[in-house]
Amino acid sequence: MTKEEASEKARKDLANRLGLNESQVAEQSVVDTDFPDMALGAGSAGEMSGQMITRGWKIQLEAGGKTFEYRADKNQVRAYKFNGKNYKI
Amino acid sequence: MNRNNFLPHIALALVLILVAAFAGQLRRWQIQMKNRARIFPAADKRRGPINNIDAAPYDTHDSSAPEVLVKFKPGVTEDAIEKITLGLHDRVEDEIESVPGLAAIDDLDDASAESVAAQYRSLPDVEYAEAVFEISADDASASSVTPRDPRFSEQWALSNDGSRGGTKGADISATKAWSVTTGSDKVVVAVLDSGVDYTHSDLASNIWVRPNSVKPYEDKELGTIQDLHGYNAIENSADPMDENGHGTHCAGIIGAEGGNDIGIAGVNWKVQIMPLKFMNAGGYGTTKDAVEAINYVIDRKKAGVNVRVISASWGSTQKSRALEDVIRKAYEAGILFVAASGNASTNNDRNPHYPSSYNIPNVISVAALDRNDQLASFSNYGVKSVAIAAPGVDILSTWLGDEYEEKSGTSMATPVVAGVAALVAAHDPKITVDELRTRLLSSVDPLNSLKGKIASGGRINAAKAVQ
Repeated sequence: MTKEEASEKARKDLANRLGLNESQVAEQSVVDTDFPDMALGAGSAGEMSGQMITRGWKIQLEAGGKTFEYRADKNQVRAYKFNGKNYKI
Repeated sequence: MNRNNFLPHIALALVLILVAAFAGQLRRWQIQMKNRARIFPAADKRRGPINNIDAAPYDTHDSSAPEVLVKFKPGVTEDAIEKITLGLHDRVEDEIESVPGLAAIDDLDDASAESVAAQYRSLPDVEYAEAVFEISADDASASSVTPRDPRFSEQWALSNDGSRGGTKGADISATKAWSVTTGSDKVVVAVLDSGVDYTHSDLASNIWVRPNSVKPYEDKELGTIQDLHGYNAIENSADPMDENGHGTHCAGIIGAEGGNDIGIAGVNWKVQIMPLKFMNAGGYGTTKDAVEAINYVIDRKKAGVNVRVISASWGSTQKSRALEDVIRKAYEAGILFVAASGNASTNNDRNPHYPSSYNIPNVISVAALDRNDQLASFSNYGVKSVAIAAPGVDILSTWLGDEYEEKSGTSMATPVVAGVAALVAAHDPKITVDELRTRLLSSVDPLNSLKGKIASGGRINAAKAVQ
């Protein structure tokens, strides 16, 4: 998965979660980031992850005047603390 | 004395002086002849002391024990070197053929080696001169083993030469440990991870193969698995092939084949790595699959496989009673459980990280160090809950596609400790799991950077551990 593909996947997921059209979700920034583990520091319930520093992208999206964070690497995209919880998408 | 006797007396005195002078010169010539025979001897490098009467005045040294190594400048001839050494009442004991101009020189005046070296250093024809020192059995250069794996010089965790901004000696003293043991193919280490690329050319020889004497794995609910090279808990299959790279990296740290002219050397040159897969291509998995995989290891141990260590480079902040229970069962089966402390830069005493924070006697929680013996910026710590530290930044190891990559994390520090545990088990096969844990924690090099940070306060030292 490329950075662009990851951002697109995140936008679709956020639009779906908020019940909006994709056009109502804007990409604020996509930044190369080192995450603390292979769950990108966004592990979900019942999950264990490799404790290796993992290069990926921090994706900031804006919708309805609020900012939402997604984390991604070549293998995965995760919603970070969406309403207090992490989700693999 | 009258005038008539004066001339005969003078003549007699002159004769005596000439005789004495001739005798002295004769002795000097004799010594020179002996020395000439000793200059750059091609075959006789271990001559005994000069023991004839003529040499007696100078014979205060063992000619087989030269005091100084002197490197003469290019262009200084053998004759010139001979003149210099004779002029200083020394002799060339041996020429070091591989370094032109370098000679081992024996002082005949009973002077100290340092003063003789200083004397030579003051000469314009000398490039350098140094006193010969004894190398004892305890000395690193005398009791270390360096593998011929071509990328060994990049493995700072095993032997840190101070390059790339590192600190020389900030390593686990692997080369010293290898003078005692390089591991054993009788010791099995389970790598509980994303699987292992068991076809990697630097790992293939050290991958566990179920012996014919051990029956295939049977689970009442899951059925029979023809487990040739370990277990895949995600698919409940016999194929633990790694799709991520993380498990292959950890396996290489523990046991990439050493001395095979390929890539790197593991902490163990010889070992049996049992690949276990519970994390997917993304590098994450479920507690349920982790439990299933540990259950497999315990079963294999009970079936007669000599599994001594489980290496667990993973975790989360979620506590699982099931995971805790099965790790306790591994303890009862005599298996050490080495676990990553986590990469959140937090204190595990306050915010536990599992499985490393389980209070079970076989669990060792591992923090990560950089190449300067500093706690890695990402590493978790905890003076009560984190036991030991090991190198975990920019660690070179095996990767998918027969490749090698540098990775960082307590994931990388964990297999270093698991690997040293396997070395100890190779050297001391009867050691119990409790003794093994104690041995590792008591074999650390104390570091100021770890004071008040982790329980042992030090970096693991493989050489101390195998003593």
